[in-house]
Amino acid sequence: MRHRMRDPVTGLLFVLPVLVLFLIFRIFPSLGAAGMSLTNWNIGGEWSFVGADNYARLLDDVNFWLSLRVTLVYAAIYVPLTVLVALGTALLLNQVVFMRGLFRGMLFLPYVTSFVLAGIVWRWIYEFDGLINGLIGKMGLGPVAFLEEASLVLPALAVVSVWKGFGYSMLILLAGLKSIPGSYLEAATVDGAGPWQKFRRITLPLLKPTLFFVLIIETIGAFQVFDTIYVMTGGGPARATYTLIYGIYDHGFRSFDFGYAATWGVVLFAIVLVVSLIQRRFLDRGNT
Amino acid sequence: MTITASRPLTRDRAAGRPRRRRARWPLAALLAVLSLLTVAPFLAMFVVALSPAGQPTLPAQWPDSLTLDNLSKVLSASGFVKWTVNSLLYSVVSVVVILLTASMAGYAFAKKRFPGRDAMFWTFLATMMVPFQATLIPTFVLVNSLEGVDTFWGLIVPTLANSQAVFLMRQFIMGLPDELFDAAKVDGASELRVYLTIVVPLTKPIMATLGVFVFLWHWNDFLWPLVVGQSDATRTLTVGLTTLRTEEMQLSMLMASATISVIPCLLVFFLLQRYLVNSIAMTGFK
Repeated sequence: MRHRMRDPVTGLLFVLPVLVLFLIFRIFPSLGAAGMSLTNWNIGGEWSFVGADNYARLLDDVNFWLSLRVTLVYAAIYVPLTVLVALGTALLLNQVVFMRGLFRGMLFLPYVTSFVLAGIVWRWIYEFDGLINGLIGKMGLGPVAFLEEASLVLPALAVVSVWKGFGYSMLILLAGLKSIPGSYLEAATVDGAGPWQKFRRITLPLLKPTLFFVLIIETIGAFQVFDTIYVMTGGGPARATYTLIYGIYDHGFRSFDFGYAATWGVVLFAIVLVVSLIQRRFLDRGNT
Repeated sequence: MTITASRPLTRDRAAGRPRRRRARWPLAALLAVLSLLTVAPFLAMFVVALSPAGQPTLPAQWPDSLTLDNLSKVLSASGFVKWTVNSLLYSVVSVVVILLTASMAGYAFAKKRFPGRDAMFWTFLATMMVPFQATLIPTFVLVNSLEGVDTFWGLIVPTLANSQAVFLMRQFIMGLPDELFDAAKVDGASELRVYLTIVVPLTKPIMATLGVFVFLWHWNDFLWPLVVGQSDATRTLTVGLTTLRTEEMQLSMLMASATISVIPCLLVFFLLQRYLVNSIAMTGFK
Protein backbone atom coordinates (compact mmCIF):
# COMPACT_ATOMS: atom_id res chain seq x y z
CA MET A 1 0.00 0.00 0.00
CA ARG A 2 2.80 2.39 0.86
CA HIS A 3 4.02 2.95 -2.66
CA ARG A 4 0.75 4.68 -3.53
CA MET A 5 1.32 7.35 -0.94
CA ARG A 6 4.95 7.72 -1.88
CA ASP A 7 4.37 8.71 -5.44
CA PRO A 8 1.69 11.33 -6.07
CA VAL A 9 3.36 12.53 -9.26
CA THR A 10 2.70 9.53 -11.53
CA GLY A 11 -1.00 9.58 -10.69
CA LEU A 12 -1.18 13.21 -11.75
CA LEU A 13 0.86 12.51 -14.87
CA PHE A 14 -1.59 9.79 -15.96
CA VAL A 15 -4.53 12.14 -15.46
CA LEU A 16 -2.78 15.13 -17.01
CA PRO A 17 -3.88 14.75 -20.69
CA VAL A 18 -7.53 14.34 -19.70
CA LEU A 19 -7.22 17.12 -17.14
CA VAL A 20 -5.85 19.60 -19.67
CA LEU A 21 -8.52 18.69 -22.25
CA PHE A 22 -11.28 19.07 -19.68
CA LEU A 23 -10.04 22.35 -18.27
CA ILE A 24 -9.76 23.92 -21.71
CA PHE A 25 -12.70 22.41 -23.60
CA ARG A 26 -15.32 21.53 -20.99
CA ILE A 27 -14.87 23.50 -17.79
CA PHE A 28 -13.64 26.78 -19.28
CA PRO A 29 -16.49 26.92 -21.85
CA SER A 30 -19.05 26.00 -19.16
CA LEU A 31 -17.96 28.99 -17.09
CA GLY A 32 -17.49 30.97 -20.30
CA ALA A 33 -21.15 30.42 -21.23
CA ALA A 34 -22.23 32.11 -18.01
CA GLY A 35 -19.72 34.94 -18.57
CA MET A 36 -20.62 35.48 -22.23
CA SER A 37 -24.32 35.66 -21.42
CA LEU A 38 -23.53 38.90 -19.54
CA THR A 39 -21.92 40.51 -22.62
CA ASN A 40 -22.90 41.60 -26.12
CA TRP A 41 -20.12 39.49 -27.69
CA ASN A 42 -20.24 39.56 -31.49
CA ILE A 43 -18.54 37.89 -34.43
CA GLY A 44 -15.58 40.30 -34.37
CA GLY A 45 -14.78 39.30 -30.80
CA GLU A 46 -15.67 42.76 -29.49
CA TRP A 47 -17.72 42.88 -26.34
CA SER A 48 -18.76 44.95 -23.44
CA PHE A 49 -20.43 44.03 -20.19
CA VAL A 50 -24.19 44.46 -20.39
CA GLY A 51 -25.25 42.95 -17.05
CA ALA A 52 -28.53 41.06 -17.18
CA ASP A 53 -29.69 42.72 -20.39
CA ASN A 54 -29.61 39.46 -22.37
CA TYR A 55 -31.80 37.75 -19.79
CA ALA A 56 -34.27 40.64 -19.84
CA ARG A 57 -34.31 40.45 -23.63
CA LEU A 58 -34.88 36.68 -23.44
CA LEU A 59 -37.90 37.07 -21.16
CA ASP A 60 -39.36 39.59 -23.62
CA ASP A 61 -38.54 37.47 -26.68
CA VAL A 62 -41.67 35.84 -28.14
CA ASN A 63 -39.40 33.44 -30.03
CA PHE A 64 -37.90 32.18 -26.79
CA TRP A 65 -41.28 31.36 -25.29
CA LEU A 66 -42.34 29.83 -28.58
CA SER A 67 -39.22 27.67 -28.74
CA LEU A 68 -39.71 26.59 -25.13
CA ARG A 69 -43.25 25.52 -25.98
CA VAL A 70 -42.10 23.73 -29.15
CA THR A 71 -39.42 21.87 -27.16
CA LEU A 72 -41.85 20.85 -24.41
CA VAL A 73 -44.56 19.75 -26.87
CA TYR A 74 -41.97 17.75 -28.80
CA ALA A 75 -40.75 16.10 -25.56
CA ALA A 76 -44.35 15.38 -24.54
CA ILE A 77 -44.90 13.51 -27.81
CA TYR A 78 -41.48 11.89 -28.14
CA VAL A 79 -40.84 10.57 -24.62
CA PRO A 80 -44.05 8.54 -24.06
CA LEU A 81 -44.00 7.30 -27.66
CA THR A 82 -40.42 6.08 -27.56
CA VAL A 83 -40.80 4.48 -24.11
CA LEU A 84 -43.97 2.69 -25.24
CA VAL A 85 -42.40 1.42 -28.45
CA ALA A 86 -39.25 0.35 -26.59
CA LEU A 87 -41.27 -1.39 -23.87
CA GLY A 88 -43.57 -3.08 -26.39
CA THR A 89 -40.75 -4.44 -28.51
CA ALA A 90 -38.76 -5.47 -25.41
CA LEU A 91 -41.77 -7.42 -24.09
CA LEU A 92 -42.22 -9.10 -27.48
CA LEU A 93 -38.52 -9.99 -27.70
CA ASN A 94 -38.72 -11.42 -24.20
CA GLN A 95 -41.64 -13.67 -25.17
CA VAL A 96 -40.73 -14.80 -28.65
CA VAL A 97 -37.94 -17.32 -29.11
CA PHE A 98 -38.36 -17.79 -32.86
CA MET A 99 -35.56 -15.87 -34.68
CA ARG A 100 -35.17 -13.59 -31.68
CA GLY A 101 -31.61 -12.54 -32.51
CA LEU A 102 -32.56 -11.52 -36.03
CA PHE A 103 -35.56 -9.47 -34.91
CA ARG A 104 -33.56 -7.80 -32.16
CA GLY A 105 -30.90 -6.84 -34.70
CA MET A 106 -33.44 -5.46 -37.16
CA LEU A 107 -35.13 -3.37 -34.47
CA PHE A 108 -31.78 -2.07 -33.19
CA LEU A 109 -30.33 -1.30 -36.63
CA PRO A 110 -31.38 2.39 -36.94
CA TYR A 111 -29.61 3.15 -33.65
CA VAL A 112 -26.15 2.77 -35.20
CA THR A 113 -26.89 5.26 -37.99
CA SER A 114 -26.87 9.05 -37.81
CA PHE A 115 -29.73 11.47 -37.22
CA VAL A 116 -28.62 13.20 -40.41
CA LEU A 117 -29.18 10.00 -42.38
CA ALA A 118 -32.53 9.49 -40.62
CA GLY A 119 -33.46 13.06 -41.57
CA ILE A 120 -32.51 12.64 -45.22
CA VAL A 121 -34.35 9.35 -45.65
CA TRP A 122 -37.44 10.44 -43.75
CA ARG A 123 -37.59 13.80 -45.55
CA TRP A 124 -38.13 11.74 -48.68
CA ILE A 125 -40.56 9.38 -46.92
CA TYR A 126 -42.71 12.38 -45.88
CA GLU A 127 -42.49 14.35 -49.14
CA PHE A 128 -45.44 14.96 -51.49
CA ASP A 129 -43.98 12.51 -54.00
CA GLY A 130 -42.35 10.46 -51.24
CA LEU A 131 -42.87 6.97 -49.91
CA ILE A 132 -45.88 7.40 -47.62
CA ASN A 133 -47.84 9.66 -49.97
CA GLY A 134 -46.98 7.30 -52.81
CA LEU A 135 -48.38 4.35 -50.87
CA ILE A 136 -51.53 6.02 -49.56
CA GLY A 137 -52.03 7.64 -52.97
CA LYS A 138 -52.52 4.16 -54.42
CA MET A 139 -55.36 3.73 -51.95
CA GLY A 140 -56.82 7.03 -53.15
CA LEU A 141 -55.83 8.96 -50.03
CA GLY A 142 -53.72 12.03 -49.39
CA PRO A 143 -51.42 13.62 -50.16
CA VAL A 144 -50.56 14.67 -46.61
CA ALA A 145 -48.13 17.56 -46.05
CA PHE A 146 -46.37 16.06 -43.05
CA LEU A 147 -43.57 18.61 -42.87
CA GLU A 148 -45.48 21.69 -44.06
CA GLU A 149 -48.43 21.46 -41.69
CA ALA A 150 -47.73 23.09 -38.29
CA SER A 151 -49.93 20.59 -36.45
CA LEU A 152 -48.33 17.52 -38.05
CA VAL A 153 -44.67 18.44 -38.12
CA LEU A 154 -43.74 17.82 -34.47
CA PRO A 155 -45.36 14.36 -34.34
CA ALA A 156 -43.71 13.60 -37.70
CA LEU A 157 -40.29 14.58 -36.32
CA ALA A 158 -40.92 12.64 -33.11
CA VAL A 159 -41.63 9.52 -35.18
CA VAL A 160 -38.24 9.91 -36.92
CA SER A 161 -36.41 10.19 -33.59
CA VAL A 162 -38.33 7.24 -32.15
CA TRP A 163 -37.42 5.15 -35.20
CA LYS A 164 -33.77 6.15 -34.94
CA GLY A 165 -33.40 5.74 -31.18
CA PHE A 166 -35.86 3.30 -29.60
CA GLY A 167 -33.45 0.36 -30.03
CA TYR A 168 -31.30 1.70 -27.21
CA SER A 169 -34.11 1.86 -24.65
CA MET A 170 -35.44 -1.46 -25.96
CA LEU A 171 -32.13 -3.16 -25.11
CA ILE A 172 -32.01 -1.57 -21.64
CA LEU A 173 -35.60 -2.67 -20.92
CA LEU A 174 -34.94 -6.14 -22.34
CA ALA A 175 -32.01 -6.52 -19.92
CA GLY A 176 -34.35 -5.40 -17.13
CA LEU A 177 -36.95 -7.97 -18.17
CA LYS A 178 -34.36 -10.74 -18.30
CA SER A 179 -33.34 -9.99 -14.71
CA ILE A 180 -36.86 -10.77 -13.45
CA PRO A 181 -36.76 -14.30 -12.01
CA GLY A 182 -38.85 -16.66 -14.12
CA SER A 183 -40.08 -18.42 -11.00
CA TYR A 184 -42.16 -15.35 -10.01
CA LEU A 185 -44.06 -15.46 -13.27
CA GLU A 186 -44.41 -19.23 -13.21
CA ALA A 187 -45.80 -19.10 -9.70
CA ALA A 188 -48.33 -16.47 -10.77
CA THR A 189 -49.34 -18.65 -13.72
CA VAL A 190 -49.95 -21.52 -11.37
CA ASP A 191 -52.20 -19.28 -9.34
CA GLY A 192 -54.21 -18.55 -12.45
CA ALA A 193 -53.01 -15.02 -13.17
CA GLY A 194 -53.62 -13.88 -16.74
CA PRO A 195 -50.97 -12.17 -18.93
CA TRP A 196 -52.23 -8.68 -18.07
CA GLN A 197 -52.29 -9.43 -14.34
CA LYS A 198 -48.76 -10.82 -14.48
CA PHE A 199 -47.56 -7.74 -16.36
CA ARG A 200 -49.34 -5.32 -14.04
CA ARG A 201 -48.49 -7.06 -10.74
CA ILE A 202 -45.05 -8.56 -11.33
CA THR A 203 -43.27 -7.35 -14.45
CA LEU A 204 -44.09 -3.65 -14.18
CA PRO A 205 -43.17 -3.18 -10.48
CA LEU A 206 -39.90 -5.07 -10.96
CA LEU A 207 -39.10 -3.16 -14.13
CA LYS A 208 -39.73 0.24 -12.53
CA PRO A 209 -36.09 1.24 -11.86
CA THR A 210 -35.16 0.39 -15.46
CA LEU A 211 -38.16 2.30 -16.79
CA PHE A 212 -37.15 5.34 -14.74
CA PHE A 213 -33.63 5.24 -16.13
CA VAL A 214 -34.97 5.06 -19.68
CA LEU A 215 -37.44 7.87 -19.00
CA ILE A 216 -34.71 10.22 -17.74
CA ILE A 217 -32.30 9.41 -20.59
CA GLU A 218 -35.01 9.87 -23.23
CA THR A 219 -36.23 13.15 -21.72
CA ILE A 220 -32.72 14.60 -21.82
CA GLY A 221 -32.45 13.31 -25.40
CA ALA A 222 -35.72 15.02 -26.34
CA PHE A 223 -34.31 18.40 -25.28
CA GLN A 224 -31.28 17.90 -27.51
CA VAL A 225 -33.02 17.26 -30.82
CA PHE A 226 -31.36 19.27 -33.59
CA ASP A 227 -29.97 17.28 -36.52
CA THR A 228 -33.30 16.08 -37.94
CA ILE A 229 -34.78 19.58 -37.61
CA TYR A 230 -31.81 21.11 -39.41
CA VAL A 231 -32.16 18.58 -42.24
CA MET A 232 -35.94 18.28 -42.51
CA THR A 233 -37.59 21.58 -41.58
CA GLY A 234 -35.00 24.27 -40.82
CA GLY A 235 -37.09 25.31 -37.81
CA GLY A 236 -40.22 25.81 -39.92
CA PRO A 237 -42.94 25.91 -41.00
CA ALA A 238 -43.49 29.31 -39.34
CA ARG A 239 -41.14 28.32 -36.49
CA ALA A 240 -43.28 25.29 -35.60
CA THR A 241 -40.05 23.29 -35.04
CA TYR A 242 -37.90 26.12 -33.66
CA THR A 243 -36.53 24.30 -30.58
CA LEU A 244 -34.23 25.73 -27.90
CA ILE A 245 -31.15 24.24 -29.53
CA TYR A 246 -32.26 25.49 -32.91
CA GLY A 247 -32.48 28.93 -31.26
CA ILE A 248 -28.89 28.64 -30.01
CA TYR A 249 -27.73 27.73 -33.51
CA ASP A 250 -29.83 30.41 -35.17
CA HIS A 251 -28.68 33.26 -32.91
CA GLY A 252 -25.09 32.05 -32.86
CA PHE A 253 -24.41 31.03 -36.44
CA ARG A 254 -26.99 32.91 -38.50
CA SER A 255 -27.07 36.26 -36.63
CA PHE A 256 -23.63 35.83 -34.98
CA ASP A 257 -25.11 37.33 -31.84
CA PHE A 258 -22.84 35.23 -29.59
CA GLY A 259 -23.68 36.92 -26.27
CA TYR A 260 -27.40 36.35 -26.73
CA ALA A 261 -26.91 32.82 -28.12
CA ALA A 262 -24.82 31.96 -25.04
CA THR A 263 -27.75 33.17 -22.91
CA TRP A 264 -30.01 30.65 -24.68
CA GLY A 265 -27.39 27.99 -23.88
CA VAL A 266 -27.35 28.85 -20.18
CA VAL A 267 -31.13 28.72 -20.08
CA LEU A 268 -31.13 25.37 -21.90
CA PHE A 269 -28.74 24.01 -19.28
CA ALA A 270 -30.94 25.34 -16.46
CA ILE A 271 -34.08 23.81 -17.99
CA VAL A 272 -32.49 20.39 -18.58
CA LEU A 273 -31.11 20.46 -15.02
CA VAL A 274 -34.46 21.41 -13.47
CA VAL A 275 -36.37 18.81 -15.50
CA SER A 276 -33.97 16.01 -14.59
CA LEU A 277 -33.92 17.04 -10.91
CA ILE A 278 -37.73 17.11 -10.78
CA GLN A 279 -37.90 13.75 -12.52
CA ARG A 280 -35.30 12.21 -10.27
CA ARG A 281 -37.04 13.48 -7.15
CA PHE A 282 -40.44 12.37 -8.36
CA LEU A 283 -39.14 8.98 -9.44
CA ASP A 284 -37.09 8.40 -6.28
CA ARG A 285 -40.22 8.95 -4.23
CA GLY A 286 -42.13 6.52 -6.40
CA ASN A 287 -39.33 4.03 -6.04
CA THR A 288 -39.17 3.65 -2.28
CA MET B 1 -39.53 -2.38 -4.70
CA THR B 2 -42.07 -4.92 -3.53
CA ILE B 3 -44.15 -7.49 -5.28
CA THR B 4 -47.77 -7.20 -4.39
CA ALA B 5 -49.73 -10.37 -4.90
CA SER B 6 -53.30 -10.75 -3.82
CA ARG B 7 -52.79 -14.46 -3.19
CA PRO B 8 -49.76 -16.33 -1.88
CA LEU B 9 -47.48 -17.50 -4.67
CA THR B 10 -46.86 -21.20 -4.97
CA ARG B 11 -44.25 -23.03 -6.98
CA ASP B 12 -46.09 -25.92 -8.58
CA ARG B 13 -44.09 -26.19 -11.79
CA ALA B 14 -45.88 -29.27 -13.11
CA ALA B 15 -49.24 -27.56 -13.03
CA GLY B 16 -47.84 -24.48 -14.75
CA ARG B 17 -46.38 -26.26 -17.73
CA PRO B 18 -49.43 -26.76 -19.95
CA ARG B 19 -50.18 -23.04 -19.89
CA ARG B 20 -46.65 -22.07 -20.87
CA ARG B 21 -46.95 -24.18 -23.98
CA ARG B 22 -49.56 -21.80 -25.38
CA ALA B 23 -48.67 -20.91 -28.95
CA ARG B 24 -46.64 -17.73 -29.30
CA TRP B 25 -46.88 -17.41 -33.07
CA PRO B 26 -49.17 -14.35 -33.10
CA LEU B 27 -46.55 -12.54 -31.02
CA ALA B 28 -43.79 -13.75 -33.34
CA ALA B 29 -45.76 -12.52 -36.35
CA LEU B 30 -46.27 -9.12 -34.74
CA LEU B 31 -42.57 -8.92 -33.94
CA ALA B 32 -41.70 -9.85 -37.53
CA VAL B 33 -43.97 -7.09 -38.88
CA LEU B 34 -42.47 -4.49 -36.55
CA SER B 35 -38.94 -5.57 -37.44
CA LEU B 36 -39.67 -5.31 -41.15
CA LEU B 37 -41.25 -1.87 -40.70
CA THR B 38 -38.12 -0.75 -38.83
CA VAL B 39 -35.74 -1.76 -41.62
CA ALA B 40 -38.12 -0.72 -44.43
CA PRO B 41 -36.71 2.85 -44.70
CA PHE B 42 -33.23 1.37 -45.25
CA LEU B 43 -34.52 -1.07 -47.86
CA ALA B 44 -36.35 1.74 -49.67
CA MET B 45 -33.16 3.84 -49.55
CA PHE B 46 -31.13 0.98 -51.05
CA VAL B 47 -33.68 0.36 -53.81
CA VAL B 48 -33.71 4.03 -54.84
CA ALA B 49 -29.91 4.23 -54.61
CA LEU B 50 -29.63 1.24 -56.96
CA SER B 51 -32.26 2.49 -59.44
CA PRO B 52 -30.99 3.59 -62.87
CA ALA B 53 -30.92 7.39 -63.11
CA GLY B 54 -33.93 9.02 -64.73
CA GLN B 55 -36.11 5.92 -64.60
CA PRO B 56 -39.20 5.50 -62.44
CA THR B 57 -38.56 4.01 -59.00
CA LEU B 58 -40.20 3.97 -55.56
CA PRO B 59 -42.77 4.96 -54.57
CA ALA B 60 -44.35 4.94 -58.05
CA GLN B 61 -43.11 1.47 -58.95
CA TRP B 62 -40.29 -0.98 -58.43
CA PRO B 63 -37.37 -0.22 -60.72
CA ASP B 64 -37.08 -2.53 -63.75
CA SER B 65 -33.40 -3.14 -63.11
CA LEU B 66 -30.77 -2.33 -60.51
CA THR B 67 -27.37 -0.74 -61.10
CA LEU B 68 -24.30 0.34 -59.15
CA ASP B 69 -23.87 3.42 -61.40
CA ASN B 70 -25.09 5.91 -58.80
CA LEU B 71 -22.75 4.57 -56.15
CA SER B 72 -19.71 4.76 -58.41
CA LYS B 73 -20.72 8.23 -59.61
CA VAL B 74 -20.95 9.45 -55.99
CA LEU B 75 -17.57 7.92 -55.19
CA SER B 76 -15.96 9.74 -58.11
CA ALA B 77 -17.20 13.15 -56.92
CA SER B 78 -14.19 14.77 -55.28
CA GLY B 79 -16.14 16.57 -52.54
CA PHE B 80 -17.81 13.39 -51.39
CA VAL B 81 -14.54 11.47 -51.17
CA LYS B 82 -12.95 14.31 -49.19
CA TRP B 83 -15.86 14.34 -46.72
CA THR B 84 -15.53 10.58 -46.26
CA VAL B 85 -11.81 10.85 -45.60
CA ASN B 86 -12.47 13.69 -43.13
CA SER B 87 -15.09 11.63 -41.30
CA LEU B 88 -12.69 8.70 -41.09
CA LEU B 89 -9.95 10.94 -39.70
CA TYR B 90 -12.33 12.57 -37.24
CA SER B 91 -13.53 9.16 -36.01
CA VAL B 92 -10.29 7.17 -36.00
CA VAL B 93 -8.10 9.86 -34.40
CA SER B 94 -10.75 10.38 -31.72
CA VAL B 95 -10.96 6.64 -31.00
CA VAL B 96 -7.18 6.33 -30.59
CA VAL B 97 -6.72 9.43 -28.43
CA ILE B 98 -9.78 8.86 -26.25
CA LEU B 99 -8.87 5.21 -25.61
CA LEU B 100 -5.34 6.22 -24.65
CA THR B 101 -6.14 9.22 -22.44
CA ALA B 102 -9.26 7.71 -20.85
CA SER B 103 -7.52 4.44 -19.95
CA MET B 104 -4.58 6.33 -18.42
CA ALA B 105 -6.87 8.60 -16.42
CA GLY B 106 -9.18 5.73 -15.51
CA TYR B 107 -6.20 3.77 -14.16
CA ALA B 108 -4.99 6.72 -12.07
CA PHE B 109 -8.48 7.46 -10.71
CA ALA B 110 -9.04 3.81 -9.86
CA LYS B 111 -5.70 2.70 -8.46
CA LYS B 112 -3.53 5.70 -7.58
CA ARG B 113 -3.62 8.21 -4.81
CA PHE B 114 -2.74 11.78 -5.55
CA PRO B 115 -3.80 15.14 -4.18
CA GLY B 116 -7.17 16.33 -5.48
CA ARG B 117 -8.08 12.98 -7.03
CA ASP B 118 -11.65 12.75 -5.81
CA ALA B 119 -12.42 16.43 -6.35
CA MET B 120 -11.12 16.11 -9.90
CA PHE B 121 -13.14 12.99 -10.61
CA TRP B 122 -16.37 14.51 -9.36
CA THR B 123 -15.73 17.63 -11.41
CA PHE B 124 -15.41 15.42 -14.49
CA LEU B 125 -18.69 13.75 -13.63
CA ALA B 126 -20.37 17.12 -13.07
CA THR B 127 -19.46 18.22 -16.60
CA MET B 128 -21.64 15.33 -17.86
CA MET B 129 -24.61 17.33 -16.57
CA VAL B 130 -23.85 20.22 -18.93
CA PRO B 131 -25.18 19.43 -22.40
CA PHE B 132 -22.60 20.12 -25.10
CA GLN B 133 -25.09 22.33 -26.93
CA ALA B 134 -25.22 24.68 -23.91
CA THR B 135 -21.48 25.35 -24.28
CA LEU B 136 -21.48 25.34 -28.09
CA ILE B 137 -21.06 29.12 -28.39
CA PRO B 138 -18.17 29.60 -25.91
CA THR B 139 -16.42 26.49 -27.28
CA PHE B 140 -16.69 27.89 -30.80
CA VAL B 141 -15.48 31.34 -29.70
CA LEU B 142 -12.53 29.72 -27.91
CA VAL B 143 -11.56 27.61 -30.93
CA ASN B 144 -12.07 30.62 -33.19
CA SER B 145 -9.76 32.79 -31.07
CA LEU B 146 -7.12 30.03 -31.31
CA GLU B 147 -7.63 30.10 -35.09
CA GLY B 148 -8.94 26.53 -35.08
CA VAL B 149 -12.08 27.06 -37.18
CA ASP B 150 -11.92 25.04 -40.40
CA THR B 151 -8.85 23.12 -39.20
CA PHE B 152 -8.54 19.47 -38.22
CA TRP B 153 -7.33 20.15 -34.72
CA GLY B 154 -10.23 22.56 -34.20
CA LEU B 155 -12.61 19.84 -35.34
CA ILE B 156 -11.14 16.99 -33.31
CA VAL B 157 -9.48 18.28 -30.12
CA PRO B 158 -12.54 19.81 -28.38
CA THR B 159 -14.39 16.48 -28.72
CA LEU B 160 -11.63 14.51 -26.97
CA ALA B 161 -12.72 15.59 -23.47
CA ASN B 162 -15.09 12.67 -22.95
CA SER B 163 -16.29 12.15 -19.38
CA GLN B 164 -18.29 9.01 -20.19
CA ALA B 165 -15.11 7.31 -21.41
CA VAL B 166 -13.11 8.25 -18.31
CA PHE B 167 -15.94 7.13 -16.06
CA LEU B 168 -16.31 3.76 -17.79
CA MET B 169 -12.56 3.04 -17.69
CA ARG B 170 -12.33 3.97 -14.00
CA GLN B 171 -15.26 1.73 -13.06
CA PHE B 172 -13.80 -1.19 -14.96
CA ILE B 173 -10.25 -0.83 -13.61
CA MET B 174 -11.56 -0.49 -10.05
CA GLY B 175 -12.81 -4.06 -10.44
CA LEU B 176 -9.30 -5.39 -11.13
CA PRO B 177 -7.58 -6.82 -8.00
CA ASP B 178 -5.08 -4.50 -6.26
CA GLU B 179 -2.67 -7.43 -5.80
CA LEU B 180 -1.85 -7.42 -9.52
CA PHE B 181 -0.53 -3.88 -9.32
CA ASP B 182 1.20 -4.38 -5.96
CA ALA B 183 2.98 -7.49 -7.24
CA ALA B 184 4.24 -5.64 -10.30
CA LYS B 185 5.51 -2.85 -8.07
CA VAL B 186 7.32 -5.30 -5.80
CA ASP B 187 8.98 -6.73 -8.90
CA GLY B 188 10.24 -3.24 -9.64
CA ALA B 189 8.13 -2.58 -12.73
CA SER B 190 7.99 1.06 -13.81
CA GLU B 191 4.65 2.87 -13.97
CA LEU B 192 4.70 2.85 -17.75
CA ARG B 193 5.37 -0.88 -17.69
CA VAL B 194 2.46 -1.49 -15.31
CA TYR B 195 0.20 0.48 -17.63
CA LEU B 196 1.37 -1.32 -20.76
CA THR B 197 1.58 -4.87 -19.40
CA ILE B 198 -1.30 -4.93 -16.90
CA VAL B 199 -3.80 -2.14 -17.58
CA VAL B 200 -3.88 -2.33 -21.37
CA PRO B 201 -4.20 -6.13 -21.76
CA LEU B 202 -6.75 -6.50 -18.96
CA THR B 203 -8.96 -3.67 -20.22
CA LYS B 204 -9.06 -4.91 -23.81
CA PRO B 205 -12.75 -5.94 -23.77
CA ILE B 206 -13.95 -2.63 -22.34
CA MET B 207 -11.58 -0.71 -24.64
CA ALA B 208 -13.04 -2.50 -27.66
CA THR B 209 -16.56 -1.60 -26.57
CA LEU B 210 -15.59 1.99 -25.88
CA GLY B 211 -13.79 2.19 -29.21
CA VAL B 212 -16.90 1.09 -31.11
CA PHE B 213 -19.05 3.68 -29.35
CA VAL B 214 -16.55 6.51 -29.81
CA PHE B 215 -16.33 5.61 -33.50
CA LEU B 216 -20.10 5.71 -33.94
CA TRP B 217 -20.46 8.94 -31.94
CA HIS B 218 -17.93 10.69 -34.14
CA TRP B 219 -18.96 9.17 -37.45
CA ASN B 220 -22.57 10.23 -36.76
CA ASP B 221 -21.72 13.55 -35.07
CA PHE B 222 -23.23 16.67 -36.61
CA LEU B 223 -23.57 19.94 -34.68
CA TRP B 224 -19.89 20.53 -33.85
CA PRO B 225 -18.61 19.54 -37.33
CA LEU B 226 -21.36 21.75 -38.79
CA VAL B 227 -20.17 24.92 -37.06
CA VAL B 228 -16.41 24.30 -37.15
CA GLY B 229 -15.88 22.60 -40.53
CA GLN B 230 -16.81 25.38 -42.90
CA SER B 231 -15.20 24.25 -46.17
CA ASP B 232 -14.72 20.93 -47.97
CA ALA B 233 -11.22 20.75 -46.45
CA THR B 234 -12.60 19.84 -43.01
CA ARG B 235 -16.27 19.09 -43.71
CA THR B 236 -17.38 15.66 -42.49
CA LEU B 237 -19.76 13.32 -44.28
CA THR B 238 -22.80 14.13 -42.13
CA VAL B 239 -22.36 17.86 -42.80
CA GLY B 240 -21.60 17.26 -46.48
CA LEU B 241 -24.79 15.20 -46.90
CA THR B 242 -26.89 18.11 -45.67
CA THR B 243 -25.48 20.30 -48.45
CA LEU B 244 -26.89 17.92 -51.08
CA ARG B 245 -30.35 18.94 -52.20
CA THR B 246 -32.81 17.08 -54.35
CA GLU B 247 -33.48 20.31 -56.26
CA GLU B 248 -29.95 20.09 -57.64
CA MET B 249 -29.41 16.35 -57.86
CA GLN B 250 -31.48 13.30 -58.58
CA LEU B 251 -33.04 11.48 -55.68
CA SER B 252 -31.22 8.28 -56.64
CA MET B 253 -27.87 10.12 -56.29
CA LEU B 254 -28.86 11.53 -52.91
CA MET B 255 -29.86 8.08 -51.68
CA ALA B 256 -26.65 6.62 -53.07
CA SER B 257 -24.67 9.19 -51.04
CA ALA B 258 -26.70 8.36 -47.95
CA THR B 259 -26.13 4.65 -48.55
CA ILE B 260 -22.36 5.05 -48.71
CA SER B 261 -22.39 7.14 -45.53
CA VAL B 262 -24.10 4.34 -43.63
CA ILE B 263 -21.75 1.54 -44.74
CA PRO B 264 -19.26 1.91 -41.84
CA CYS B 265 -22.17 1.87 -39.36
CA LEU B 266 -23.54 -1.28 -40.99
CA LEU B 267 -20.10 -2.92 -40.90
CA VAL B 268 -19.77 -2.15 -37.20
CA PHE B 269 -23.31 -3.42 -36.72
CA PHE B 270 -22.85 -6.74 -38.51
CA LEU B 271 -19.41 -7.47 -37.10
CA LEU B 272 -19.94 -6.31 -33.53
CA GLN B 273 -23.68 -6.46 -32.93
CA ARG B 274 -23.47 -8.91 -30.03
CA TYR B 275 -20.81 -6.72 -28.44
CA LEU B 276 -22.83 -3.52 -28.78
CA VAL B 277 -25.98 -5.16 -27.50
CA ASN B 278 -24.28 -6.66 -24.45
CA SER B 279 -22.45 -3.49 -23.50
CA ILE B 280 -25.60 -1.36 -23.68
CA ALA B 281 -27.40 -3.88 -21.50
CA MET B 282 -24.53 -4.01 -18.98
CA THR B 283 -23.33 -0.42 -18.80
CA GLY B 284 -26.23 1.70 -20.07
CA PHE B 285 -23.75 3.27 -22.46
CA LYS B 286 -25.38 5.54 -25.00
